Amino acid sequence: MIRKTIIITLGLILLVFSGLSFYKSRHLKEPVVIGPGVTQVKKLSEYFPAIKGSANDANVYVLEGAKKGGALLVLGGSHPEEPAARLTTWILTENATLEQGRIFVVNSANRSATTVTRPSGAYPASYTIKTDWGGQTFRMGDRWANPLDQWPDPEVYIHYPTRQNLAYMDIRNLNRTWPGRANGTLTEKTCYALVELIKKENVDIVIDLHEAELQYPVISTIVSHQKGLDVAAMASMVLSDEEFKMGMEKSPLELHGLSHREIGDHTNAVPLLFETPEPFLDATRGRTDEKLLLEGKDEFVVRAGKRGLLFEKIDEKGWPIDVRVGRHCSTILQVLDVWSQDHADKAVALRNVPKYDEVIKKGTGAFLRDPSKADPKLIYYE
Amino acid sequence: MSMTTSATIILAAMVAAYIAAKIFKISTELSMLAAALVGGLVGGAGLPARHIAEGAFTYLDICLIFITATLFMNLLKESGGVAFVVRRILKRFHKHKFLLFIMLAVLMLIPGMLTGAGSVTVLIVGGMVATVLGYMGIPKPKAAAIVFVIAGLSAAAPPVSLWAMLTAAGVNMPYVGFFLPLMIPCLVLALLTIFILGWKSKPVDLEQALKELPEPPARMNWLKIVLPFLVFFALVIAGRIWPFDFPIMGLPLVFAFAAAITLLLSPVHIDFLDVSRRTVHQLLPLIGTLTCVGVLVQIMTLTGVRGLISVTVVTLPAMVVILTLFLTLPVSESVLMWGAAPVLGVPLVLLFNTMNLNPVIALAGMSVIWPLGDAIPPTAIIGRLTVETVGMKERYSTFLKYCIIPAVLIILVGTLMVIFSKKLAFLTVF
Repeated sequence: MIRKTIIITLGLILLVFSGLSFYKSRHLKEPVVIGPGVTQVKKLSEYFPAIKGSANDANVYVLEGAKKGGALLVLGGSHPEEPAARLTTWILTENATLEQGRIFVVNSANRSATTVTRPSGAYPASYTIKTDWGGQTFRMGDRWANPLDQWPDPEVYIHYPTRQNLAYMDIRNLNRTWPGRANGTLTEKTCYALVELIKKENVDIVIDLHEAELQYPVISTIVSHQKGLDVAAMASMVLSDEEFKMGMEKSPLELHGLSHREIGDHTNAVPLLFETPEPFLDATRGRTDEKLLLEGKDEFVVRAGKRGLLFEKIDEKGWPIDVRVGRHCSTILQVLDVWSQDHADKAVALRNVPKYDEVIKKGTGAFLRDPSKADPKLIYYE
Repeated sequence: MSMTTSATIILAAMVAAYIAAKIFKISTELSMLAAALVGGLVGGAGLPARHIAEGAFTYLDICLIFITATLFMNLLKESGGVAFVVRRILKRFHKHKFLLFIMLAVLMLIPGMLTGAGSVTVLIVGGMVATVLGYMGIPKPKAAAIVFVIAGLSAAAPPVSLWAMLTAAGVNMPYVGFFLPLMIPCLVLALLTIFILGWKSKPVDLEQALKELPEPPARMNWLKIVLPFLVFFALVIAGRIWPFDFPIMGLPLVFAFAAAITLLLSPVHIDFLDVSRRTVHQLLPLIGTLTCVGVLVQIMTLTGVRGLISVTVVTLPAMVVILTLFLTLPVSESVLMWGAAPVLGVPLVLLFNTMNLNPVIALAGMSVIWPLGDAIPPTAIIGRLTVETVGMKERYSTFLKYCIIPAVLIILVGTLMVIFSKKLAFLTVF
């Protein structure tokens, strides 16, 4: 009896403390202080009402220039465990202005996936970016939507509409469920809603921001649908020449469900996917904590690199978050520059977005705005 | 302090905690939990409630499959279905040793294939098959060896192969293409095992055997046994044929449907609550192991111990890794049970991938070898369970001695699958 009482008590203590932590991270508020360029904040459900009220009814920040031009959609949080992607969208929504064209920014494309961390992954519940005013905390998130929002998984995930067999859990992976399905799962519906946005707003380019483990061959690169190869190739050449080494890859024709394949096949838009290196995701990583996530330094990953097992270089300097965010910012700017030169009538002229060197010099936190000092009308929550 | 030094110290503390727990006769699953808690404390994470709870949920879906599949099998046994099948096989094939062995091997493969657990094979059909083998003059340690080895192969066989599923999930690899690479070696090795170990058997004394085997209910027939399986496969296949129109049920619910059909068709009254309770009781050690393995892996990841093991494995000379699989896989299984898959399987698959080997075939080869560790102390859960179920009174080492020949064959086949995985890639069709 005493033994049972002790076990039940310990179980209850574990339940309370862990439950509080899960509740807190699932409901952590992430403020966005919209910048001068944002003219409207819409909900994704405005493009597809079936997702209204769901975990994935994301905010869509609209930036409009005085001059007519092309339209760009930037997706952050397709995989929320890749923080440089979401942080880049924060920089855009809080700082960018537009002279020409329109930009749609979704900071949490798979919002459900921002509310969960991976069992056995030992991820921190959240991470904080240092700022002059203290810091801003973000939900850590995972690669897949929260099972609380979408469960159970099938024993094999069959992609719509190609019927390609994929891993069962990838039915919750936003970058495996494109082009989406109106009567599908939450993640499929989210992709469907985003495709509706692309079609209704006549989006010309879609940029899907990601990060990758160094053991993954698709890294430090722009992956492009065949429609966007010229833009991707030119941007990669200029970036490699002027700022940092950047590759370019063609989206495989037979690999389905990914944004760079399906958006190109099912809409008029040109999809591009950017990858930066994130040692935190490597299977050989050492201690898993916020420090590794933000500093990107890991002795074991360096050892794996010396053995020739990695597809990107790493040394004791690691891959800090500012470097990764800076790469995304510069790549967006460079792609738009190339696109606008080739498509004068559909140009998108983006201003007040820091480039690679500036992000490294000032830090990502320098581009986050203090919500406590902002007009409450300008604050939106992710 | 370097990361290597710190992770090595934490690993040493975890190993010490595990050994100490075992010395105090604490169960394997609680010993793993103790090792995890000590790892957290020594690693400076304290007692991280969030990580303990999150790790414990890692294999929730697999636990649900376990419970519902075993409930299905237990209901089939309670309804007299299993006894019916064994008696029919015996009556039909008692004069044909060749066919009888094939039928018994297939019969033993089915429960483990569907549930992913060798223990289910042992508990559901192991005792009855051992009885039949006994009537053929096969000594109990040899019969136990046949049941144990085939039970292990049944667990590795598709569609539910936990080692392959856990490792594939750990490297973000789809659990697709594994059916033939797992099915062919498991079936062939199961047949080889029963034929080699049962070679010197004599014809069955049918009258005596039927007298001692449990009598199935009079109204039991093939339809009542086959129908639940048909429902199971129909639901799985419907999800594959009409994936965009058929609701996603998940394997646990599909097994629950099959169990419900078995219950409805049973010719005898079954106390459902009692069977459910016994099923959960029977599975507690396995569910406990999966839960504690989840916690252990989470803490190992948190503290860098998993990274240390991974990087050590992937930086070893490749041939050394492959040629010692016969040792590392069973030993890791004997210590961590399925935990061996995420801890050791993941870095091995990453290494094989970088060596340009076929990861599906290589993982299938490893999955065939892993279950051998279930006979080796400290855990030896399936080995001990088999010996008890068969009612063997001889020394445990006698049973182990009879396992050697099939074990060598399994190791050979598994290792060759890894080495020649690229050439066998044509098997990964579905």
